[in-house]
Amino acid sequence: MDSFKVFEIKKSVYENNDAQASLLRTKLKEDKVFLLNLMSSPGSGKTTTLVKTIEALKDEFSIGIIEADIDSDVDATTISKTGVKVIQLHTGGMCHLNADMTRQGLEEIETDGLDFVVLENVGNLICPAEFDTGAAKNAMILSVPEGDDKPLKYPGIFRAVDVLIINKIDAAEYFDFDLEAATQRAKKLNPNIKVFPISAKTGEGVEAWADWLREEIKIWNK
Amino acid sequence: MHELGILVEVVKTVEDFARKNNLEKIDTLVLQIGELSEIVPQYIKECYPAAVDGTMLDGTNLRVDILPGNGICQKCNKVFNIIEGKGKCTHCKSRKFEVISGHEFMIKEVIAC
Ligand SMILES: Nc1nc2c(ncn2[C@@H]2O[C@H](COP(=O)(O)OP(=O)(O)OP(=O)(O)O)[C@@H](O)[C@H]2O)c(=O)[nH]1
Ligand SMILES: [Mg+2]
Ligand SMILES: [Zn+2]
Repeated sequence: MDSFKVFEIKKSVYENNDAQASLLRTKLKEDKVFLLNLMSSPGSGKTTTLVKTIEALKDEFSIGIIEADIDSDVDATTISKTGVKVIQLHTGGMCHLNADMTRQGLEEIETDGLDFVVLENVGNLICPAEFDTGAAKNAMILSVPEGDDKPLKYPGIFRAVDVLIINKIDAAEYFDFDLEAATQRAKKLNPNIKVFPISAKTGEGVEAWADWLREEIKIWNK
Repeated sequence: MHELGILVEVVKTVEDFARKNNLEKIDTLVLQIGELSEIVPQYIKECYPAAVDGTMLDGTNLRVDILPGNGICQKCNKVFNIIEGKGKCTHCKSRKFEVISGHEFMIKEVIAC
């Protein structure tokens, strides 16, 4: 007869990943690579925003993009047209990137000579918020058609990010999106959150976002 | 379905623990989920068989213990359940409190030999 006993583990589910993420962040700091983790729901405009961001910053920084998708190369193809280095990570059905997958992506893209790398995370508002990737800064996009009540429904991600980009403001009138209400709800969850309303389609507001990034990259890579 | 992705991380941690402690056979895995976390215990249970498929935990039982979402009131200093009070202290109705538990997602233990 097997005699079963209780073996205490007492470990947070996120503990391993948090430790790996800290190691990765330290290494990126030493290597002077600024990593931005970009999160959102599917279709909120991550790839379109990235294209505009690349246009604004590519003369000043050497940029790399890691596209994480469950399965497809569409985004990587779009980004490659801007001329920056891009790779596609297939997450094999995973709904988020963890620190170890991020490390593998960084190895694959070869960060030597890059000073700014963006991770386009899997489209999802829950799990990416729970897993530290090791990025220097975290940003999320909330797009106008998704509604101004998202901070109430998914508080976790609004607490986890440094920046909230509100995209598709060109469509605000069609969706009764209250920019002020969305901003207040986000700030209530996270008083330090920076909010940038933009339209990745028309380019409106992209400059303020690019200015913030430029400063952060310079501070990190000093 | 984010619960599946998270469970895959859990399985890795438990397999690691089992190897280090030379566990031969695992009967039950016990998780603790806080009432205030965005993890849904029901989904965790539904995803479990798929997440452990082909791993050391294949065929094991899963038990989920729920941890209460408690706060300590900054006005009357009493501990209360945040969900029960709908965000207000159940004793004095103040909205000023500090969360003391409820966001956790822990691997508590395994029953094994
Ligand atoms: N009107 C309007 N449409 C936009 C804007 N930004 C993106 N879109 C459109 O929204 C759709 C999705 O944009 P993507 O950039 O592919 O979104 P994504 O977040 O990268 O999508 P996934 O990678 O599939 O999750 C496309 O049809 C874009 O043209 C915007 O500012 N205004
Ligand atoms: Mg995309
Ligand atoms: Zn009270």
